[in-house]
Amino acid sequence: MAGVQVGKRIIGATAPVTVGWENIPKVEGGPIKQFVFTYFQPAMLFTAIAFWYYAPNWLAVASTAIAIRLGWTVLLLALEWVNPRHKSWQLTWKEGASDAFYVGLGMTFIGMVDSYIGDGAILGAVRGAFDWEKFSWFTSLPLLLQALLISMIFDFGQYWMHRAMHNWHPLWLTHAPHHYITQLNVQKGAVGNPVELFLIGLGIGGLFDFLPRAFLLAGAIGMTVGVYQHINVRFNTPRWWRFLFNTTEHHSVHHSQDYEATRSNYSGTWIIWDRMFGTCVDGEAEVLGMEGGRRMHIGETMVFPFREGWGDGKAWLAKRFGAQAAGPQQAQLEPAE
Amino acid sequence: MSEAAGPQSSWAPAATQPVRPARGFSIPYIDIIWRVRGEVPIDRAMTREEAFARIDALLRTPGTTLSAEGPELTYAKQNPAAQDKLATFNRGRLWIERAGAGAVLRFDLFSHALLLCFLAPLLFLGFAQLAVTVNAYEKAAAEASEKDKGKDKKDEDKPKPVKKLNPIDEFLGAPAPEDPSKKKKDKKDEDEGRHSSEPGYFLAALFAVLYLLGRWLEPWLVRRRLRAALANPVSPAAA
Repeated sequence: MAGVQVGKRIIGATAPVTVGWENIPKVEGGPIKQFVFTYFQPAMLFTAIAFWYYAPNWLAVASTAIAIRLGWTVLLLALEWVNPRHKSWQLTWKEGASDAFYVGLGMTFIGMVDSYIGDGAILGAVRGAFDWEKFSWFTSLPLLLQALLISMIFDFGQYWMHRAMHNWHPLWLTHAPHHYITQLNVQKGAVGNPVELFLIGLGIGGLFDFLPRAFLLAGAIGMTVGVYQHINVRFNTPRWWRFLFNTTEHHSVHHSQDYEATRSNYSGTWIIWDRMFGTCVDGEAEVLGMEGGRRMHIGETMVFPFREGWGDGKAWLAKRFGAQAAGPQQAQLEPAE
Repeated sequence: MSEAAGPQSSWAPAATQPVRPARGFSIPYIDIIWRVRGEVPIDRAMTREEAFARIDALLRTPGTTLSAEGPELTYAKQNPAAQDKLATFNRGRLWIERAGAGAVLRFDLFSHALLLCFLAPLLFLGFAQLAVTVNAYEKAAAEASEKDKGKDKKDEDKPKPVKKLNPIDEFLGAPAPEDPSKKKKDKKDEDEGRHSSEPGYFLAALFAVLYLLGRWLEPWLVRRRLRAALANPVSPAAA
């Protein structure tokens, strides 16, 4: 495989990756299907923004957001059924049940742990230690600007955390299980080791005062943009959208079996962070995963960072401190001729 | 990695050979949770060799070990790929039996996934119970510390300032933020604690539904796939 040069890198040399929007297939079918899968993404984004902007206070609460999220997930699963991007990514019962388990873990156990040591708890302590009233003027900004700031600040943090995970081995060990997914479906974002899910959820947005409605609006942006990272639906995504936002195409490149391709498209929602920092690759990939597409089951996903970390830690210690001690021993082990 | 099932000629003994009972963990009545048994009609004229050759492509996938022991074909899967057509069933036995004037391909399959999905509601009920227990513990601890710090409470009850919308949002008609002190009063009585048990209960119900769906859907898909495979003759090139 020759691969394609993107900047200074060769993408797709070890596994197939399609580079360039002009090479990506379009939605096939009649005019209604074409229309729906061309305008669905922006229509849903603007609808969600309008809803949270005008919803009365009794309705603009977290429980409404959860109910909408549930309905939204069902709708997206239906879209996967109607217009799959790849047949090889089709959701099976076992994959669906496995994904639901990770989502469930996030909603229960990880959520409970997060409430003690997550960003909310850490930032609460930081805010208590200093006078942050100076930032209270944030709440007087226009709501949409507050929502954009929340979304972009969080995603900026996520970009660097994600990039660090791909560049520092201890962090990579927590993130690696997520890269063993071999297909993208609506709930695949939740698949991974709990330590990684905790780390990637850390944000600094909580440092600043924003109106509750602004948080709900930011959540709506995440729900109607970031969700398309992991989905098996073919869209004719508008050009402006794919310039600003992360898409399934971008994220499939990130999950490709090609090593160099995985070191791109780190952002969650705003692909402009990747464009700014030189890590964006516009394209798509179908063949995903690690170790030639070996699937990692739930049990291994739970223990992987600890098992590998233990092994790698021992090897590192032996290399760092054991070489001198092992020196004479190695000499003894040499065969006597 | 996959291994060959051995010479295919060994799959063709007499049709009347006895089939041994199911291997492994078998508890009558309860094992229907994780075991699926069924049959698919086949052409009486079709030999065992031909029938097994036709379903070979369905079974011979990465991570699958096949073996032909006497009249039956057994398989075992080690963490199969997501798109493996039999991924839900880790291991299984298939054999052919005469049934009246015709013949059937019988199967007896075992599924870790179905068993774990059946047990998953217990895990999530456990998480819900954990939330209730932690809330009760924290409430008791908070009440005890409140008694000690009665004076500090006055500062906490100091009314927070009402936040105002930006004039642009006011012009566009967005609802104004609520008075935070008013909200606090309303919420005080119904305060459950730091953790909600609702997600745990919801997920327990979800996995119960998922289990029922899988227990019905997966055997149906197995029968459909076996029927489709048996209907397609093996081309000489593939054989």
